[in-house]
Amino acid sequence: MTAPLLDISGLHYRYPGARSDALADLDLTVDEAEFVAVVGANGSGKSTLARLLGGLERPAAARRAVACGHDLLSGEGRLAARRDVGVLFQNPENQLVAEHVEEDIAFGLENLGWPSADIRRRVDEMLARFDLEDLRRREPHLLSGGQKQRAALAGVLAIPRRAIVLDEPTAMLDPAGRADVLAAVVALRAEGLAVVYITQEMDEVMGADRVVALEGGSEAYSGEVDGLFADGALVRRLNLGLPVVAEVAQEMARRGRPLPTFPLTLDALLASLGERS
Amino acid sequence: MKGAGRKAGRAGAQPVDSADAAAATVTAAAAAAAVGAAAAGPVPAGMSLACHGVTFSYEEGREAVPAVRDVGFELAAGGSLALLGASGAGKSTLLQLVRGLDEPEAGAVDLDGVEPGGEGYPALRREVGLVFQIPELQLFAPSAREDVAFGPRRLRWSEERVAEAVSAALELVGLPEDKFGDRHPYALSGGEQRRLALAGVLAMKPRLLLLDEPFVSLDPVTRRQLAEILGRLKDAGVTIILATHDVDLAWALCDEMLVLCDGVVAASGAWEHGAAATDLLVRNRLREPQLVELWRRLGRDLATAPRTAAEAAEALA
Repeated sequence: MTAPLLDISGLHYRYPGARSDALADLDLTVDEAEFVAVVGANGSGKSTLARLLGGLERPAAARRAVACGHDLLSGEGRLAARRDVGVLFQNPENQLVAEHVEEDIAFGLENLGWPSADIRRRVDEMLARFDLEDLRRREPHLLSGGQKQRAALAGVLAIPRRAIVLDEPTAMLDPAGRADVLAAVVALRAEGLAVVYITQEMDEVMGADRVVALEGGSEAYSGEVDGLFADGALVRRLNLGLPVVAEVAQEMARRGRPLPTFPLTLDALLASLGERS
Repeated sequence: MKGAGRKAGRAGAQPVDSADAAAATVTAAAAAAAVGAAAAGPVPAGMSLACHGVTFSYEEGREAVPAVRDVGFELAAGGSLALLGASGAGKSTLLQLVRGLDEPEAGAVDLDGVEPGGEGYPALRREVGLVFQIPELQLFAPSAREDVAFGPRRLRWSEERVAEAVSAALELVGLPEDKFGDRHPYALSGGEQRRLALAGVLAMKPRLLLLDEPFVSLDPVTRRQLAEILGRLKDAGVTIILATHDVDLAWALCDEMLVLCDGVVAASGAWEHGAAATDLLVRNRLREPQLVELWRRLGRDLATAPRTAAEAAEALA
């Protein structure tokens, strides 16, 4: 049994000048090759968690705060964590720095002192993986929102990582782009990365190994996806909403025609409707 | 009205000149009449729109990269149009051209049947409101009330009228003035900030409301609240163009659709969903609305596909 790649316990964080903790007594572990989805209302602490896991903020206090073997409570540990934990933010504007897309993807590798032939190979690989080959000489500010997010993701993943934290990475993407990112995330899990996937899209939670729901900076739920959505009161309290098909089932129950099971996917709804008739 | 002008103004792109002020007076009269006519109160009646051959390119070094080409469509007053297409298809550019933040290289945007340069056109343009992507990034005033008042003040409305418009707009987005008026915008939650930014545009009583990905990064419950607000504006007769990747919410809200593909109109018209529409959406990196997929897989007539979960449940129960 190896130790979790991301391992925090009793963690607190408060923004300067704030009156309450953004994260309060938070526990979270993510294993190698585990895909954990994190959900919660606007303001529940999801983005703050992303910054802490990536070594970008200093925890106010924690019993334990370790990322890929690095202690997040020490300055050196946070610096080392930034190398091993990739963080992709919600707004790609803040993440694209270079003049052209391909330079942007190469940026992190250059900072690490990779040989230029290796950088070129890696950049080509990333351009192909994220369907950016035609845009390699494009200036980032001329890209659409979705293209920017793909370029930012390519930049984060160009550096080989052990863990990745994605903060609503598909918010700006079209549905096909969303599917591409989710497929990339599943591939990263298969490569052994610990994946923390923050999202507002309940449909995207379905593929995760486990879901963690945050409320006021603390864990309100951790466990299987089905268990979360089965708890209607919790889902309402956390502002999570339901996948559309689950809403249909809920509306049917309200009309006095409940289905035999509570479906979270279209297949499950169709099966449930079939069972009823 | 000054939907987006308030933002452009901050960047120094749209100075207020005397013509602006004169036009604002015309607008004021028109809006007052509209408010008087509409039983709903604070919401004015919609504006019709017609784009003819609208073309625009961005410069990239020495090259011109076409963003939209020969875009033509019409939208009746009170219509609701889903502007769909892959990332980079030109949706945001088209909205900015309709708003008048950029001038097309070729073609024209007619508002209420008036061509650019025609009588009253500048006033009509002020009645087009644009809600940008992530609009809360542009909140800046020390209170919610002051932030929403910024646009109406630029229209040189009387303080009394500004106060009335601010109050009505805050009410409309579910941030009642007595509770939220004095709050600092940064002290609001993400969803509240989004709604406040929308109020800043609605305070200028746009008759054509353009929304660029308004649901992005909102939690599902806040997203639904916003969809309900847009539904109320639609029911009140405001013309709406909704650029979004969220086909489920677009399907719930919009009667018409326009699909842009690499800056060109791939299809436009009434959104009655059929197999061809699904093909078109999938080819443009989108997908079929889930309720349409449910109907298709149940073998039901797609012409009767429900727009909302409640409609679906009604038909299935």
